[in-house]
This record gives sequence, structure tokens and C-alpha cells, in this order.
Amino acid sequence: MVLDRDVVEVSVKNLRRAGIRTYLTLIGVIIGIAAIVSLLSVGQGLNVAVTEQFQQLGSNTIFIIPGAASMSGSGGAMISLTDADLDKIASVKGVSEVAPIYTGAATMQYRDEKAGISIYAMDAEKAGVFSDTGFMEVSDGRELTKNDSEGILIGSSISEDLFSRTLETRKIVQINGVDYKIVGVLKKQSQSFGGGPSSNTTVYMSLEAYKRIFTGELSPGIVFAKTYTRDDVEQAAENIKKALEKKYGDKSVSVYSSDQLLESINSVLGIVTLFLVGIGGISLIVGGIGIMNAMITSVMERTKEIGLMKALGASNNKILMIFLLEASFIGAIGGAIGIVIGFSLSILVSVIGTAVGFSLVAYIGPEIAIGALIFSMFVGMISGILPAINAAKLDPVVALRYE
Amino acid sequence: MKDKGIISLQNVSKLYGIGDVTIKALDEIDLAICAGEYVSIMGPSGSGKTTLLDVITTMMIPTSGKVFIDGIETTKMSNPELASFRGKKIGFIFQTFNLLPKLNALENVMTPLWINGVPREEREGRAKMLLKEVGLEDRMYNRPNQLSGGQKQRVAIARALAMDPEIIVADEPTGNLDSKSGAHVMEVLSKLHKDEGRTIILVTHDESIGKKAQRRIFLKDGKILRTDEKHVCQLNGYGKHKIKHENIKQKIKN
Repeated sequence: MVLDRDVVEVSVKNLRRAGIRTYLTLIGVIIGIAAIVSLLSVGQGLNVAVTEQFQQLGSNTIFIIPGAASMSGSGGAMISLTDADLDKIASVKGVSEVAPIYTGAATMQYRDEKAGISIYAMDAEKAGVFSDTGFMEVSDGRELTKNDSEGILIGSSISEDLFSRTLETRKIVQINGVDYKIVGVLKKQSQSFGGGPSSNTTVYMSLEAYKRIFTGELSPGIVFAKTYTRDDVEQAAENIKKALEKKYGDKSVSVYSSDQLLESINSVLGIVTLFLVGIGGISLIVGGIGIMNAMITSVMERTKEIGLMKALGASNNKILMIFLLEASFIGAIGGAIGIVIGFSLSILVSVIGTAVGFSLVAYIGPEIAIGALIFSMFVGMISGILPAINAAKLDPVVALRYE
Repeated sequence: MKDKGIISLQNVSKLYGIGDVTIKALDEIDLAICAGEYVSIMGPSGSGKTTLLDVITTMMIPTSGKVFIDGIETTKMSNPELASFRGKKIGFIFQTFNLLPKLNALENVMTPLWINGVPREEREGRAKMLLKEVGLEDRMYNRPNQLSGGQKQRVAIARALAMDPEIIVADEPTGNLDSKSGAHVMEVLSKLHKDEGRTIILVTHDESIGKKAQRRIFLKDGKILRTDEKHVCQLNGYGKHKIKHENIKQKIKN
């Protein structure tokens, strides 16, 4: 048996012997693996967060967004959905509820301070579509009622951070110059809603209240529809799309079921993560070249020793294995340290991210750790192949008398 | 003759190509060395002594010809077979000692033991016993740079004996030693031959060293110029070594 405990021990001893060179080589691997692990961890964390959010929303939800079929909604002619369109959506087979959301940006004034806010307005009766999502959980005060034409709900950040004084329930603020009374403050949310503005920084109001500042023909920014059962959702989405496109033309509107939306968001996230991990991978390649470099130097330094070992009965394969193992160990040890550092970095990123309002939880998964460890060992081994073959192929007579 | 000789070379040549010139380091050598024989290979530098030793020790494969050790044709063996064969049958003593500088004396002696797969629990005991035999029991944990030349060569001898080989080859073993240490090494070699019945092959250019052997083989330009007439195969048979072999195993156990 060529690979035995002795070969392993000798490889480890040799690495220790090489001292500073081993440590420097390790750093290269550590950086590469730490980069890959942290990016994967953050990317996966985002993925999990988005998925959880959509699961809360329920998989029988359909999103109807006026505009082209791209995530950002740009690139196509904007259309305005009318009340007739909403009725049409409601009449599609399987649809149980339709909740149009009207969005807008406005200026809020409190005493003599002014600040920009975003507004979500909906038919208060239909706010039930969201009540199970937890995104509009009221922590202080009450929920909106149907005829709340003056009451608003504010996000926690607006309450706490927007103005020098904390905004509390029963305070009066001016939005675009119109008086509104705060009836409730929402619980702080760690996630934004569907990738949109964080509910922490949004003002929610009823449609009646919205109409006091936004006049004229109202057009919803997004329409949520729910179906009776999950099985109806794909077919209903298809039918809604057909009906609207018949009126406005192809690609005039984007219709997704929540599963489809989740899928497309996650696939974009996946591509971005992959791209970043690829960049991390390049640094690991550099680390691998570092291993190769260190091993070639080591073989040259130990030429005489290799010759001696051959004289004492070591086969070419044994020599090969010793050097291959050394390279693999550098990979594995660097990988292990890199994994710890990578996860620490991703936790740091998530803590900082959450602190500045872009919340995510780093995903610390065993599959990332195991995958990274195997990968780093593999990189070490690949980098060690050439030097190890050089060592194994040394002519024992020449090596033994090498000065 | 082939059957009786523990080492036998038939028509062995080794050619080196340097540029367009081909050099015959060994030129159709026929040679037999008996079991338990003590021979010295002598000749001026460039005569092919070291090449001959490399071929005998299986470190070098000749360009043509056959080499037999114990009746086994080593020139036909694969690399792993050769390595294992060499590790167990042949002990090396070098002019420059070739101790591993970062290992202490004990670890140096243990090196052939792990390479050749001696069970872990036996290694330290055997290495300590060998170092004791060469008088270095109080130097076991010293590194080579803490040892004198003579002490280093004794560590090297202990290492050469670690696998209890039948053949000991010594390439200018006294070349880097003062005369007193050199004389001591030569005594040890004689003892290994006389008392333990091992085959000793000594390479030297030094006439006074070479004549300690039973038989001298003179090389010049890759050919055997002459050898001493003495033929000693009958005096020290293979059997005697075997007996000693058993003794050593006994000692290791104790």
C-alpha cells in the first residue's frame, strides 16, 4: 500500500519543516476559499430570505405588473390598468380576490421638517390579502379601516428615524400638504416586501386617503390576485395575461404566479452569485499556482533527500504520494481556515447589512463547508501533480549526488 | 558460477551520451560476487567504479546486460519491485553520509524502517539497538549538525543495517573522515563481514583501504582490468549469514 499512515505523517512533518513557505502558500488558498464561501453564504442567504418571503405570501398569489416582462418593469411601453381591467381580472376563473396597490412618492412634513416617503395605498377591505404575510403587522395603534380617509400606517423607520422626533400614534403629519393622522406604527420588518421598498420606510393608507393627494385617473402600480386553490394559479395567471394582452398588446403586462416570480428572482440571484463566486474562484486558482510554486521549490530543495529515500527503498509511487499529499494538505488546511473566515465574513456582511436596513441572514450550511473543503483539497492535489511527478521521476543516482 | 554468486553481472554495459559523444562508463562487464564476500572496487576516478556500484545496487539500469541478485534478474524488475528489493537487501553507506539534516540520529535510522513498512511498534526499539551497537546510545536525539564526522558515519552505518540487509555497499566511506574515524569505520565493515557474514562491496580509490577487502576488483575505462585471484565463495556461504540474521531478529525481540 503506497498511501499509509507513515506517508501521511511524513507529509505533515515536511510541511511543518517548510515553515514560512507553507504559511504563505496557505494564505493564497485561504483568501480564495474565504471569498467563495462568503459569497456563496450571502447569496444563499438572500435566496433563502426571498423564498421564505414568498412562502409567507402564499403560492396562490398572482402578481400583475403593468409594463414589459422584465423584472424591473422597464423597457416596454407603460400602460395604465383601469377599473374595468380589475373587474376583468376578478372575473377570470379561479380568481378569488383582486387587490390593486397604488404606489407613489410624496413629501411628508412634521412640524418644520420635511422628508421623502413612498406610499402604498390599497382598498382597506382587501388588505386581508397581506394580513397573513406579516408585512403589515401593527405594533402600536390599530389597522386601517375601510373609510380611513385620514388615517395612515407608518413603517418603523419612519416612526423612529425620519424626523428628529419620534412619530407616534395620534400625531398629525402633512403629506404633500394634506393632513393625515397616524393611526398605527408597523412592526419592524427584517425583509422588504417582494423586493420592493422596505415596509419600514413606507406609508400605508387607504385608497380614499390616497385620492386626497393623487387626483385624476388612478392606475395601480401592481395588482395582487389570489386564487381559490394553488392548482388554479398557473392557469389563472395565463388567462389574466391573455385577457390583458388582448386589450393592450403583447408584452404590455407582466403576470407572474408567486412561484414563477420566486423562480425568476432566485435565478437572477443565482447568476449574480455564480458570477461573484467565479471571481472568488480566480483567486483560488492563483492560490493553486502558489501551491504548485511552493511544491516545485520544495522538490528542488529536497532532491538529495528524494534520492536517498529511493536508495532506502522508496518506490516512485511513494515519493509521488508524499508530495501529492503535501499539496493536498495545504489545500485542505487552507480550505478549512478559509471556510471559517468566509462564514465569519458573511455573518459580518449580514450584520452590517441589517444595520443599514438591507437585511439578510447569511446562510451557514454544511454543504457549503463540505463542498469548499473537497474543492480546496482538489485544487491542492491538482496543483501538486506536476511537482510530485517531477519528484517521482528523479533519477535516484543523479538525485543522490545532487549538490 | 551464477548460482553460487549472490551478485552476478553478465555482459553489463552502460553508455552515456554527452552531446554527440557516447561514453562507455561500463564496457561489457562480467562479474560475480559471492554471498558473504568482502570485495573492493578500485580504480582511478572516471574508471566506472561508481557506475558499477549503481548498477549492482539497482539504482541504475544498465544499457545492456543482465544483473542478478540472489538469482533474481533485477534488470527485469518494475520500479516498485526494485525499490522494495533494494530497501530490504542492500544497505548504503556514503562518503557524504547523506543523513537527513532535520531529523535526529534515531529518526534517521528509523527512516528505512517506515519506508519499508516495518511495523511501527518495532521501529524505535530496532533503531535504538542499532545505535547502541555503533556506540551512539547517548547521541540518539542529536541532529547531524551536532555530531562529528565519525559519529555521522556511524549513524549512517546503523541506518544501513536497519533492514538487516545481506549486502552492504560503501562508496568511499572514509573519504570525509579523519584517519582515526576512518579506521573505525573500516573495523566496523570488517566486523559486519567476518562476524555477521554480510556481503560487503567497498568502492575506493585508496589502495590502503581497498586492500582490507578479501578481493580487489580493478577497473579502468569501464572494464575490469584485473581481480585478485582469491576465490572465497566456499569460505563464507549464504548459510552463515542466515544464522546471523536469526540472531539479530532475536535481539530485536528482546
